[in-house]
Amino acid sequence: MLKIARISKSFKKVEALKDVTFEVENGEIFGVVGPDGAGKTTLFNILVTLINPDKGSASINGFNIDKDYKKIREVIGYLPGQFSLYPDLSCYENLDFFATLYGNSIEENYELIQPIWSQLEPFKDRRAGRLSGGMKQKLALCCALVHRPQVLFLDEPTTGVDPVSRREFWSILKEIKKEGITVLVSTPYMDEATLCDRVGLMQNGELLKIGSPENIVAEFSGLLFALRASEMYPLLEKFKNLSGNIHYYPFGQQLHIAVSHEADVGLLYDFVKEIGYGLLDLQQITPSIEDCFIQLMAY
Amino acid sequence: MKGFRAILIKEFQHIFRDRKTLAMVFVIPVVMIILFGYAISNEIKNTKIAILNHAHDPLSYTLIEKVTSTNYFQNIKFLHGNHEIEEIFREGKVRLVLVIPDRFEQSFYKEKNATVQLVADASDLNNTVTLVNYMQTIVSDFQAEQNVLLPNMQPFQINVKMEYNPEMKSVYMFVPGNIAMVMVIVTALMASITLSREKESGSMRMLTITPIRPIFVILGKILPYMIISFFSAIVILLMAVFIFQMPINGGIALLLLICLIFMLTAASFGILVSTFAPSQQVAMIATMMGLFMPTMLLSGFIFPIENMPWILRVFSNIVPSTWFIIAIKDVMIKGAGFVGILKPFLILILLNIVLITITLQRISKK
Repeated sequence: MLKIARISKSFKKVEALKDVTFEVENGEIFGVVGPDGAGKTTLFNILVTLINPDKGSASINGFNIDKDYKKIREVIGYLPGQFSLYPDLSCYENLDFFATLYGNSIEENYELIQPIWSQLEPFKDRRAGRLSGGMKQKLALCCALVHRPQVLFLDEPTTGVDPVSRREFWSILKEIKKEGITVLVSTPYMDEATLCDRVGLMQNGELLKIGSPENIVAEFSGLLFALRASEMYPLLEKFKNLSGNIHYYPFGQQLHIAVSHEADVGLLYDFVKEIGYGLLDLQQITPSIEDCFIQLMAY
Repeated sequence: MKGFRAILIKEFQHIFRDRKTLAMVFVIPVVMIILFGYAISNEIKNTKIAILNHAHDPLSYTLIEKVTSTNYFQNIKFLHGNHEIEEIFREGKVRLVLVIPDRFEQSFYKEKNATVQLVADASDLNNTVTLVNYMQTIVSDFQAEQNVLLPNMQPFQINVKMEYNPEMKSVYMFVPGNIAMVMVIVTALMASITLSREKESGSMRMLTITPIRPIFVILGKILPYMIISFFSAIVILLMAVFIFQMPINGGIALLLLICLIFMLTAASFGILVSTFAPSQQVAMIATMMGLFMPTMLLSGFIFPIENMPWILRVFSNIVPSTWFIIAIKDVMIKGAGFVGILKPFLILILLNIVLITITLQRISKK
């Protein structure tokens, strides 16, 4: 179990983390979701004992990150955001190296990494630097798992990975969870948040919201509408004239419009008609987690 | 310990898989000693010499004719007495004076035991040695020609006198200097590069959060380079002895001990640099400026310390290579024992303690 209490960290003038508090239950996949620069990596660096927080404390399975950092290092696995294996060593040599660093052998926890390693096995003598992006991540994951950690930290594991490999990666994480390993994963992709058991939404070093994806969606305040737009820019220009407590933002091919008070719905319908759209173009939709995040961020 | 061994093995794999590293580590020492030993000497053409002929007999003029008819030497002045030798050297007009003694022809034919003397300006030693060798060949040639007419001749005695540098210092100077350079390149430079490479690629973070203690990570990474540079030092010593006929008058164990201590200095300098340097390039430049250049320029390896302005002399005192070279030279040439090199030895140890203390302090930071 992870307990993070009121952690703050500043770098020179930038406040990277402000008073961050949350808990992670054993055996869950907890997602830290937020845009670049939200403080996700700083939070992970503190939790994996690479840097110390300025204020606050945290513990992993009862071990304090400051006092017991040596014990923590034995029970965690870490996959950094940047590819950090040795490109001039082969896949097998990389794996063997990290197993040995923890005083283990590959065989000891082979059944844990077997599903991932079996995909890499045909390339085991290839140098790690010559693997494709998705393969590199899988190898890095093997290296982070080879000592069977109790808690696994994955810092943006799917950034820069193709959609198919991303989906595959997430199904691997579900398998890891079944082994009873707690997984902390950070991602800038909102769609991945729904794959977590619980998520924490982060922005500018602050934790805006914590909860299961369902709960976060349920707590969306007001109503959400989508307007199909053939051309986004002129539409946005027209919406500038809209009054009332209504927020709008482009969302792919659509314009999402969040109405805080039900009383304003009539106002919106009138306005849409006025700018030349049919009533069928405007539909009420259930908010996605991204809509919730935008709501939390913007207002 | 298993982890330490894993890091050690991994580092050897890095070395043997990267051709650049491999070349740097194994080829440079050999190239450098050959370069300094052989190549750094100029081609000889129309070198100005002076001749002091005490004999004034026909045979002496034949010899002079023989010497000056080559492209190599050009006689610019006939001297009239020994006092003029020093004068003409001081004016810097010639680098070599051929002295033909009195009764040259008589001793050549009757006593069958002739002598010529070569007086050389040895302040630029590498060149001068080459000059002397050329002159000796010409004189021996001359003797061989005369021998046809007159068998059973005693070999010519060529008496070489080195002015200004009678110990022929720089011939031997390049061996200790070379060992210092190799240690700096292989240990300090490679250590700083390999450590900052792990930092740059982010793998140092992975290593940091494993249960292995940082000091073992660092030792495991630099030990291979220390082993290789020690091996290189031995190769240089062997080449010095067997190719350049340099004597080792002192104890070999003491010599290797000094090498070991200097290697530690170089290693901790490399580690220290890597704790500051954010990238491999910075680490490389910092090691070059901080240790390589001083070793090359300030340690007395190439330029004599006595000729430096006082501020550089002061600076050269804190360059570890200075004391390393002094210690090695004293052991190899003068055959000094441990007591004989106590001063450079202790200073080297002191510099080592200072460096290692600072380095350890930097590493222990989280």
